[in-house]
Amino acid sequence: MPFQRYLLGLGFLSPALLVLAGLFLMPVALTGIIAFTNMSISTGVSGGAHVITGNLLTGLRDDGVEPAALDRLAETVFEVTPEALARARAAGVDPAFVADIEERLVGRRFTDGRAFERELKGLPHRPRAIRDLKVAADLFGASILNTRFADAAAARQAVVGVLPDAPEATVDRIVAASYTGWQWTTGNFARLLSSPDTLRLIVNTVFYVAATLSFTVFVGLFLAIGTFYLPPATAGVFSVLWLLPRLTPVVLYAVMWKWFTWEGGFVYTAAEALGLPAFNYMKGSVPTAWTIVILVNGFIGASFSMILFSSALKAIPIQQLWASEVDGASRWQQVRYIVLPQLRWPILFVVSYQTLSLLSSYQEIWLTTNGGPGRTTSVWALESFNTALNNYTGDLQYGLGAAMAVMLVVVGVTLSVIYLRLFRFDDLVGRPKIEF
Amino acid sequence: MRRTLSLWPLALLLALASAPIAIMYLFLLVDTVTNAPPGSAIPNALTLAHWRFLVDPRVTGDVWRPTVTTLLFTASIVAIVLVVSSTGGYALSRLNVPFRRFLLAGVLVMHAFPLVTLIIGVFLVLQFVGLYNTLTGVILVKAALMLPFGIWIMKGFYDTVPWEIEMAGVQDGASRFTVWRRLVLPQVKPGLFALALFAAIDAWGEYMLPRILAPSSDFQVLSTYLNAVSDPDSTTYNFNLFKSVGLFYMLPILALYAIFRERLTNIFGGGTKG
Repeated sequence: MPFQRYLLGLGFLSPALLVLAGLFLMPVALTGIIAFTNMSISTGVSGGAHVITGNLLTGLRDDGVEPAALDRLAETVFEVTPEALARARAAGVDPAFVADIEERLVGRRFTDGRAFERELKGLPHRPRAIRDLKVAADLFGASILNTRFADAAAARQAVVGVLPDAPEATVDRIVAASYTGWQWTTGNFARLLSSPDTLRLIVNTVFYVAATLSFTVFVGLFLAIGTFYLPPATAGVFSVLWLLPRLTPVVLYAVMWKWFTWEGGFVYTAAEALGLPAFNYMKGSVPTAWTIVILVNGFIGASFSMILFSSALKAIPIQQLWASEVDGASRWQQVRYIVLPQLRWPILFVVSYQTLSLLSSYQEIWLTTNGGPGRTTSVWALESFNTALNNYTGDLQYGLGAAMAVMLVVVGVTLSVIYLRLFRFDDLVGRPKIEF
Repeated sequence: MRRTLSLWPLALLLALASAPIAIMYLFLLVDTVTNAPPGSAIPNALTLAHWRFLVDPRVTGDVWRPTVTTLLFTASIVAIVLVVSSTGGYALSRLNVPFRRFLLAGVLVMHAFPLVTLIIGVFLVLQFVGLYNTLTGVILVKAALMLPFGIWIMKGFYDTVPWEIEMAGVQDGASRFTVWRRLVLPQVKPGLFALALFAAIDAWGEYMLPRILAPSSDFQVLSTYLNAVSDPDSTTYNFNLFKSVGLFYMLPILALYAIFRERLTNIFGGGTKG
């Protein structure tokens, strides 16, 4: 039975599958789904209700819905119903006065508040103070405005109650617009395609990835080849030092960079002593902010690539180097013709791996410049994160943020597929030798 | 002799490139026990005042509760990652699993998957299942995010175990499970240890998940604690204090680094290569 052969493997794999399905695949799928909704903090995550608000009416008017109908929706209607009478009694209005209203006005409906008040003034047990009368009158008023309706049918009934002769299409439009929950839409992508910010963000992201990647590769190469030629003790000092940025918790790393570049910090003090312009380099100007963003990420990247390159260099047979020296090769020729060819695969790996991780990295930028000054150093991933989850105004737009993230994934997965081909994935996945 | 002399310019260039790091980490140590006059970075007085936060909760709030929480947080994550990766990696390396190629490719792609895509979805999943704003939720998410890496590393280590060991065990009548538990697992101990070390350092430094997935909860880990303390608008604006708290936070990592330097270099370099 083929299934039984798999049983043991699946058993061993099941914890991993369970966790990965719940907290990896499901979030990814959810993100893909949410990208096609207008879900935000105001629509909530679960379903919503129907509410007609003043803002909504203004919006509908701008969209060309008949103004007369909208005005009537905004009106307060005074209706003497048994419920309203009970409400008045509960609110402590003089029972004799309520009895008067019940006797003479029950079933009557007024669209004008003043007309209703005039009628009330004519009643025998009316209150002395005009203010009390107004309070009592308000208790009979009801407006469709700002009332919550649990579903579309209830909202529809209420709208038709106010506008009995409105055309079907108008009612449909008002009911649909009054929905407060999230709705399906492709508007997020349309908005991203048409927004001028998008292009700027893409340019920023490409610049950030390209600059940081170059820093990572070239500084990594320089460090690895440099330490390769130094005596082991000196080289050891550098490799100890360069592992630190990758080990340091990101918050502390950010604090150290702030100390390094802010007012009163190290560079600031040094620049002041030398008579150079001294200001908060992290926030004060766009070029310095970019430099810091690239250095903050580049140091971590260089730390990664240096280790990788160094271990590849250790694999060079030392006889090859001796032979080249005997043949009279200069140091530069040695690097160019023996060392660099050896590093071809590690360099390719660093480039591909770092492109992916830089594309989606934003923690360091978030904790240092946070995209500032203005939004000049913001990148796609940071903007997506800020849009969806981390916003000063609290206007969290899950849908739009998810749409941005989905576009990042499309780019990322495309690149991964290319890289997997490049790195001969087949070599990594041999079949098991015991088949039972 | 001539050889060493000619290397001086190289060493100097390297030192220059490393200067920012050297300065930052040197002052991370020095500034916690000294004071410098205004307008200068060179300290002129020794003091222990910046470490008062350890005994006096009025300085930055109680530091020991976040420390205990962080320990718990890290230990739980390491435990989950080790258990799940060691079984999952074994299945992918040695056992018959349907869609094996597909699963392996999936693990690789997940490893490189942009976290920002996940975090929005994870946020919603946690809200649905009611683990939003809880330590359990953050632990589960962090462990899950580390799993693809863990599984991939463990698969690599299992791949190097000779098949003969397992075949001998099976020949002697042991079940595959017993073979794994008693014969194979001891063979991959270095892998488990490396993974534990890596997971511990990663979890210890984690900031974003607690911050985003448990923003208003009553627990703090040291990363969020340090971030709150080092707020530039705070009344205790003082980088010497921030660095003291930061150094306290990083001490366990520095200790691990001092003891296992060789091994850490291998994990952080070769590890991600798979």
